[in-house]
Amino acid sequence: MNARQATSLAAVALAFAGLYARGLLEPSAAGFIVRQGPAETRSAAPSYKAQLLPNSSVESVHSATAIETSDGRMRAFWYGGTREGASDVAIYMSTYSPPTGKWSPERVLVSRGLVERQLQRYIRKLGNPVVGRDQRGRIWLFFVSVSVGGWAGSAINAMASDDEGENWSPPRRLIASPFFNISTLVKGPLVQLTDGTVALPAYHEFLGKFGELLRLDGEARVVGKTRLSWGKSSLQPVIVPHSETEAVGFMRYAGDPPVRVLMIRTGDGGGHWTAPIKTGLPNPNSAVASVLLAGGPLLLAYNNAEENRESLSLAVSTDFGDTWRVARTLESESQLPRAPVAEYSYPWLMQDRSGDVHVLYTWGRSRIKHVVFNQAWLEGGSQ
Amino acid sequence: MTATDILGLGGCGLLFVAAAAVSFPLPRLSADVRYAVMLAVAVAVFIPIGGLSVAGTMRGTTGDLSVPTLILAANACVSRIAGRTLFAPREWSALLRAVAVAGLFLYPFALGFTPFDPYTLGYGSAALTTVLLFATLAAWRAGLNLIVLVVVIAAVAYLAGAYESRNLWDYLIDPLVAFYALARLGAAGVGRYFLRRQS
Repeated sequence: MNARQATSLAAVALAFAGLYARGLLEPSAAGFIVRQGPAETRSAAPSYKAQLLPNSSVESVHSATAIETSDGRMRAFWYGGTREGASDVAIYMSTYSPPTGKWSPERVLVSRGLVERQLQRYIRKLGNPVVGRDQRGRIWLFFVSVSVGGWAGSAINAMASDDEGENWSPPRRLIASPFFNISTLVKGPLVQLTDGTVALPAYHEFLGKFGELLRLDGEARVVGKTRLSWGKSSLQPVIVPHSETEAVGFMRYAGDPPVRVLMIRTGDGGGHWTAPIKTGLPNPNSAVASVLLAGGPLLLAYNNAEENRESLSLAVSTDFGDTWRVARTLESESQLPRAPVAEYSYPWLMQDRSGDVHVLYTWGRSRIKHVVFNQAWLEGGSQ
Repeated sequence: MTATDILGLGGCGLLFVAAAAVSFPLPRLSADVRYAVMLAVAVAVFIPIGGLSVAGTMRGTTGDLSVPTLILAANACVSRIAGRTLFAPREWSALLRAVAVAGLFLYPFALGFTPFDPYTLGYGSAALTTVLLFATLAAWRAGLNLIVLVVVIAAVAYLAGAYESRNLWDYLIDPLVAFYALARLGAAGVGRYFLRRQS
């Protein structure tokens, strides 16, 4: 062995020692943190209120997401522009004050040009936002951007706020796919894990349609991922943990009839997932939302039809998804007022610390609608 | 601008300069003019036009580039400007074969056609590290220094967090170099086939 060969071998030894050491430092399996429900509900009397969020800026809005702030307000985010996929689409933000019951005028939080400059790469359009909180209390806003092509060319970006959404860090790019890092989108809420990392449900739309659970470290870098499904027919996963090791997930179905909401389960903290099974609930290739309510029932918001998004219902399960009861219908042909374009889609569900349940969804593509109710109203439904 | 942005843009800029070097009729020019032209291209590629440079536009499309792509790009620049290659043809051929095999293993599965996702192995998997170690030692023993160099640089870049990715695969391979390797090997195979038919 000559000196050059010895040097080369030493370099290999050092490099691989580093790789093995890094492997030991990577996060190991962690359990879910189950969202704690409110200690007590504010009122036993049924309450229900609905209103449209402000929109004086754009013709088209879609895909709302929301989070409760530490002072009890709620911040909502959505994307809007002249139409879906247009270059003027931006991420908008508005804040809800429970005492007044009003939303603040919307304002642009993220524009395409801003993202392009701060990410130092060409950006063609923006898409779905998802907001969530990590264990340190930081609020993270994830959003989709596309540089080439349609939604199949998407990538995910993340911004952080340490002051409850007043100020935000510059966006950073999440790297989640080896193929030009394209075709990774978000729709479902963030899940906290016991080791301080978080799990972000994501999905792919390039060639196949399938779900994944991205594991992110404290700086929103992807440090692992698990496939939730595979093939060409499942997307937009929503994961709801109900113990440290158990969770149920729901997905939009884009396959052959019968068209049904898909369901998956894990019993080992997300390490392995069952193959998707069809629930009894219809799904016209549209997003669903789910949340574990105080006291244990599982709530699901979904389009209760096989062909269109003209009705939006709430279903309740007390056995973590095995059986469902349609509890309320938020939108249907018989309910007024109807949107000019009868599409009620992309629901986002959350329960605040007082026990009120909030649903935000796209109302006719022109507005975001906010419905807030308590569990007494939900349980009093006739259907 | 972060360090990962600078490195990512630098890589994309290098690839653009290599493409220009291959496209321009550089060998017909004098050495001084060749260097001047390539220096001008190298500067131009990083000048923001409408807020974004050519390198930034390219980065939006390709993402950050792997070490084999960067070494191939650097070699294209050197060969077109200085008229010499950095490694022997045998070394390049071995690297392209290794990249092609890795690409065929990684991409079809990573695109979701099966439950198995080899991309997850890039997040610190001991199995991937061990396979890579044996492959690198085999290359070292065969005197294939280019493969050894690529793996060592990729490992160091990954450990240093040179790019936004925390996945080792993104430092070892990207779709551009995988397609290039498959195309070169495919063309060579087709050439050999027709030569055999003629003889």
